[in-house]
Amino acid sequence: MSEEIKQEAERSYCVFGIGDREFLVPKETVIQILDITKIFPIPGSPDYVVGALPVRGKIVPAIDLAKVYNIERINYSNNKLLVIDIDGEQVGFLSDITPFFVSFDADIVVEDYIDPKKLFEELKVSSQKNTLNKKE
Amino acid sequence: MITQNELIKYFLLEAEDHINTLIEGIEDLEIKGYTKETLESLFRATHTLKGSASIVKLDKISLLSHKLEDLFEAILNEEIKYDNSLNRVIKNVINLISLYINEVSTNEAEKTELNQDIINLLDNILEKKEAVIEQPEVVTFEALPIVNTVRVDIRAIDNILTLLGEILVQKNAITDKEKELEEIIEGISHSGKRLINEINAFSDRYWLVTQDKHQKITDSFFTDFSDLEFDRYDEYHIFLRKIQEITNDITEAINSLFSYSEHLSYNFKSFSREIGYLKDNLIEMRMIPISRLLHRLSESIKDIAKDTGKKVQIEINGSEIKIDRPIYDAIYEPLFHILRNALNHGIESPEERIQKGKSEIGSITIEVKKEGKNIVINIKDDGRGINITKVKERAIQKGLLTADQAPFVSKEELFSFIFTPGFSTADNVDLLKGRGMGLDIVKTEISKLKGTVEVFSEIDQGTIFTIKIPQSLSISNLIIFKSYELEFAIPLSYIEEVLTLEDFPDIKRERKISHKDRNIPVKFFHELFFSANGKNLEKGYIIVFNFSGMRKGLVVEEILGYEEATIHPLGKFLAGLTQYLGYFISGKGTLRYVVDPLKIFEEEFLFISPEIIQVSTVSAGKVLIVDDSISVRKSLQSLLESKHLKVYAAKDGLEALNILEEKNVDLIITDLEMPVMHGYEFITRVRKDPRFNDIPIVVLTSRGTKRHEQKAIAAGADGYIIKPFDEVTISEILSKFEIVKEQI
Repeated sequence: MSEEIKQEAERSYCVFGIGDREFLVPKETVIQILDITKIFPIPGSPDYVVGALPVRGKIVPAIDLAKVYNIERINYSNNKLLVIDIDGEQVGFLSDITPFFVSFDADIVVEDYIDPKKLFEELKVSSQKNTLNKKE
Repeated sequence: MITQNELIKYFLLEAEDHINTLIEGIEDLEIKGYTKETLESLFRATHTLKGSASIVKLDKISLLSHKLEDLFEAILNEEIKYDNSLNRVIKNVINLISLYINEVSTNEAEKTELNQDIINLLDNILEKKEAVIEQPEVVTFEALPIVNTVRVDIRAIDNILTLLGEILVQKNAITDKEKELEEIIEGISHSGKRLINEINAFSDRYWLVTQDKHQKITDSFFTDFSDLEFDRYDEYHIFLRKIQEITNDITEAINSLFSYSEHLSYNFKSFSREIGYLKDNLIEMRMIPISRLLHRLSESIKDIAKDTGKKVQIEINGSEIKIDRPIYDAIYEPLFHILRNALNHGIESPEERIQKGKSEIGSITIEVKKEGKNIVINIKDDGRGINITKVKERAIQKGLLTADQAPFVSKEELFSFIFTPGFSTADNVDLLKGRGMGLDIVKTEISKLKGTVEVFSEIDQGTIFTIKIPQSLSISNLIIFKSYELEFAIPLSYIEEVLTLEDFPDIKRERKISHKDRNIPVKFFHELFFSANGKNLEKGYIIVFNFSGMRKGLVVEEILGYEEATIHPLGKFLAGLTQYLGYFISGKGTLRYVVDPLKIFEEEFLFISPEIIQVSTVSAGKVLIVDDSISVRKSLQSLLESKHLKVYAAKDGLEALNILEEKNVDLIITDLEMPVMHGYEFITRVRKDPRFNDIPIVVLTSRGTKRHEQKAIAAGADGYIIKPFDEVTISEILSKFEIVKEQI
């Protein structure tokens, strides 16, 4: 009984890292973790969109949060892509480490927590950010 | 023209629906009793059935439906009180209609004589406004004719099409693999042949060479024989013989591999072909003949004609052609718009037509053709046509082009202005006789279908609208090209032709090409998408688009080929990248972005270029100086600028021609001896160009002889000044050609 309560009171996150920073996203949004084999750059997209990765006939845009939060990168090797689902749309975050899962008590305020929905809205490519249009 | 038989086929399809609605409705009435909704649906079904039956001239079905409709209407209006006993009568009528539908289905006509009793009975009910109660008799519905059709949700077909799209990707992958296999087999076969040749040559040479006789034979096969039988064969020979045997085996194997691969290719080819058929069939399944749409349209137009007192005859050609369901739904409005315009503003009143010596009855022709993977719809009327002069005036008035440009704009380009939003305004209805009203919407709608619309017209001859749309929306035909190691695709539907870059050496500087008497502006793909301005293209292609009469060119480095694919949207996250229509993944797993050509040239469709407006507001005279000597250019320039003139300078003829392309010039002052392009040639060129042949040209040269002057005048010069020049001479020239206005 007491264990059940404890479980309910815990929240699980997925941790991924860029440079020396770590970020957390809710575990339930995670779809999969991919090895980055080939990314296709998308001309005209903002610099934090590294490109798109074909996954089973669909594409996942790959986002580099280093460009968003101005994080310095030490090494580019061992890149993983953490694919999360936001209201049916999949996006991927580059991670320098292999993402892993952690659980905390629900009342602990997690630092570097990312609200996927909010971030999605913030980073969503709008026509203004679209460089092709800007140039004209 | 669609045949009666075909029309009946569609009627039958439709009738089945209505009968089902009727049966369901009656059953509802029996079970749940009277509800307004049920009766309304019954009323609607009979109403439509009546209408459809009368179109195909099935009078009996039409009459019966009509009576039923009246009955339902009366009940709805509460003129007749609904009573269960009515059901029997209604069922009888429905059965009778079903009977006729059955007959039509088998004999294409209503055979049985119409039983007048039932009509009388219905009339009776309608007259007396009360339900006739007779002894109840159980009536059951008769089976409907079996029209061999199955109704399928369009999404089911779309799902299959998506799967087929994946199969196509796999097929493309196999095609690539097949080529690899062929190469491998080719390689093996080549090496095999070499091996055989080597071994044969070797054994021929060494067959008779005797080896050491004392060498012991160890092969078990041969030890069974006495040495005498093998006097000439030692281990070496045996080895050689074995090698030869193996080689022969390999040859055999290679040969069968060859024929196997040939068979495989053959099978694969037919497999590809079958997939192609499958795809065509599936797409066709999704498609509906355009005839139904066109007949609906022509009926509405005829109705409008009656109201306006105009006489019009509508001819439809090619109505058997099928189009995709989404296109079918989306094309109605634009077509209706064009047709209504043709009637309201194109076709004249009967009196006016007679006055003009035309037939009293106006004619509108709708012609549908299939051109490759596109459908072309021509709507032609023989009305008063569009006045191109007025279009031109209006375009200038709207700032879409300047008065100077107007004479050089092609007719078709001028006509395309009528699709500009707000081209014809309410306070100016007479201008295009209202034709510009809403035509921008027509164009927008058609663009959504990845289609184009063009217009051409002759005064009092009529107007022709040409709409070109892809036959199917689900699978696109694309041209694949490569830029900076990435692959892109562009829909074929807008593409008119593809030219090679080598044929247009000046394209990089001029940003346009002259092709088929048209000046086509071009853009460079790598500049737009990779901001790579410095890149010097030596080889490449110019993709020429035709956007409803506006031609634009796009330069790409490398074209990989043509492919059919289903385009997927980029998704919400990337939706802001409007330059892409979506993406698809190639057989090799490469991501290909599908570029929207309309976006590339978008700003040019706004027509209004701020530069043009600026130029037209500046009224100071503009002089172009062409001289290879910088001191002459500078001194002349300062002299002219002191007279408030705008000065452009060029150091040779070629540079000067480029300036002429971009700027409006009122006077040219040119030297004769210059590098690259000398003065005579420059003058000749300017005079040859209809846009510039009225610009005065004054020659400024140190060659004082009459012979040079005559030659220059012959080439087209208007004045001749001998260096060194002075202010007075220049001022004379300026006032002679009215470059300097007194008030400045």
